[in-house]
Amino acid sequence: MISLERPAVRAALRWLPAALAVTALAAFPFAVTKPYPINMGVVLFLAVLMGSAWNVLGGYAGQYSVGHAAYFGVGAYTAVLLFERHQVAPWFGLPAAMLAAVLVGVVIGGITFRLRGPYFVLASIAVAEIIRLAALHFRSFTNGAEGFVIASAPSIHLLGVELSFGTKRSFYWLTLALAVAAVLVSRAVLRARLGYLLLAIREDQDAAHSLGIGLSWNKNLALAISAALTGLAGAVFAGYTRFIDPSAAFGLDVSVRMVLVCLVGGIGRVEGPIIGAAILIPLEEVLRNPGGLETVGLLPRGSELVAFVGRWISPAHLLVDGLIMVLVILFAPEGVAGLLRRLRARRRESAAAAPSPAP
Amino acid sequence: MALLEIQHLSKFFGGLAANADVSFSVEQGDIVGLIGPNGAGKTTLFDCITGFHRPDRGEVRFRGVRLNGKSPDKICKLGLARTWQKVRPLARLSVIENVMVGAFARTRDPEAARAEALEQLRVVGLLPRAAQAAGGLPIGERKKLEVARVLATGPTLLLLDEVMGGLNPTESDEVIELVLALRKAGLTFVVIEHDMRAIMRISDRVVVLNSGEKLAEGTPAQVVEDRDVVAAYLGEAP
Repeated sequence: MISLERPAVRAALRWLPAALAVTALAAFPFAVTKPYPINMGVVLFLAVLMGSAWNVLGGYAGQYSVGHAAYFGVGAYTAVLLFERHQVAPWFGLPAAMLAAVLVGVVIGGITFRLRGPYFVLASIAVAEIIRLAALHFRSFTNGAEGFVIASAPSIHLLGVELSFGTKRSFYWLTLALAVAAVLVSRAVLRARLGYLLLAIREDQDAAHSLGIGLSWNKNLALAISAALTGLAGAVFAGYTRFIDPSAAFGLDVSVRMVLVCLVGGIGRVEGPIIGAAILIPLEEVLRNPGGLETVGLLPRGSELVAFVGRWISPAHLLVDGLIMVLVILFAPEGVAGLLRRLRARRRESAAAAPSPAP
Repeated sequence: MALLEIQHLSKFFGGLAANADVSFSVEQGDIVGLIGPNGAGKTTLFDCITGFHRPDRGEVRFRGVRLNGKSPDKICKLGLARTWQKVRPLARLSVIENVMVGAFARTRDPEAARAEALEQLRVVGLLPRAAQAAGGLPIGERKKLEVARVLATGPTLLLLDEVMGGLNPTESDEVIELVLALRKAGLTFVVIEHDMRAIMRISDRVVVLNSGEKLAEGTPAQVVEDRDVVAAYLGEAP
């Protein structure tokens, strides 16, 4: 008989909820085929992927980059340029995109990691803007403001299954798998030696330095992991939307959204980007395009609510982002994950304080 | 050969000489007290030795290796570690995680680091606090944490910057006993301290700094008799 006390069984039980959730998400497209929720899934999974990527550098090492669009854009352009100019299949474009993002990251890190605090934040924004302007300017290489429209989307064969890069469903599963992988990478980093060193750097750089921690090496290591995942997201995003231009790839809003997902969910916590994306993305998608709720039958056709939101809120849906940010900073400075953890601790405390039943 | 040799070391901030032509050496197994009035350049000297400042003149050698220009993390890994006058706990990490960070200077394995951290927490008597957040400790225990963390890096020479400052007499005595026990176990110390009672008790030799210069060096008894030292602390005799 299997005892619930055995460590292996206990470990399996701990993973069970996460495994069930991922399985349910993976099965979802078989139940619902409407494009609206599938699209929302892709956007959400990309946000988890990018948030986890940002978290490794921003959350663990405390290096608040607001210029991650640089790595996102380099990843996107690398995959697209390889495909459009050299007919390299997207499947091979993905690792190339990651590599390119890492290389750019190490150069940027070498320059900006000397700076601390707000100076680092400003430099990270400036570098990303320089790259965006360069992408606009060097038209022979990047097509400038026109960007690229990817006309044909090849399919790939993986283990005998044809995955077409043309369908939303393939992207749904691809981005789900990548989001899960990113969360696992983020968790592994936090539990390894590197995670402790990054947290030490975040808490006090001089103290960390005096304890034998090389600052620039470890920050660059965190950046390399972060940039690789972000570049990957960029390449997948470009393949999904089949269009990139400098503002979609390198825009400041790309960087800000990565920070926002972590800020709302909980900076420096593995589950932070998952929670943040799960709150922000559906809200944003619904407010931006409330009509989608009618197509999936959640609201009746011609609903007044949809008309109202479409008329008054959709044009200003970014204001809602701002509002959420203000609320989080005021009431949950450690994000929703931090808030949940605090509530749980308080409940445990009051349970411990309550008189225990007599033996 | 001495374990630590400081030769003609000078450090300038603008026109001000924070350290001017300071020389002394520390033998294996010594406890050297470093004293002097406020602003004498004691902490600057520690910063120069541990790589946080680059000496403008002179040199620092540890086991014969020249340290000038080496980064603090490299110097720590050579076995020369320091504590901070103003304690620097990694506030949002737990007490044991703080010490694990130190232990990672020598191991890559988190389990080995945890075992080492538990051992050092036991040595300084912080074991009951292991799971607490370091930011919530009272000052006395923060100082002990500072010592446990730096011990975990596996130093041969420890620079202690006022680890007894702000402690009550009982806590001070505990730290003194700890330093003496660690010396018995083979460690070497340079200790900055204002508490003369403590300095007299633990030091084999005392180096006195004043206005960045070395004023005197000798046994504790010699130093307190030294007229220049008395003058520096109390003002010129009439």
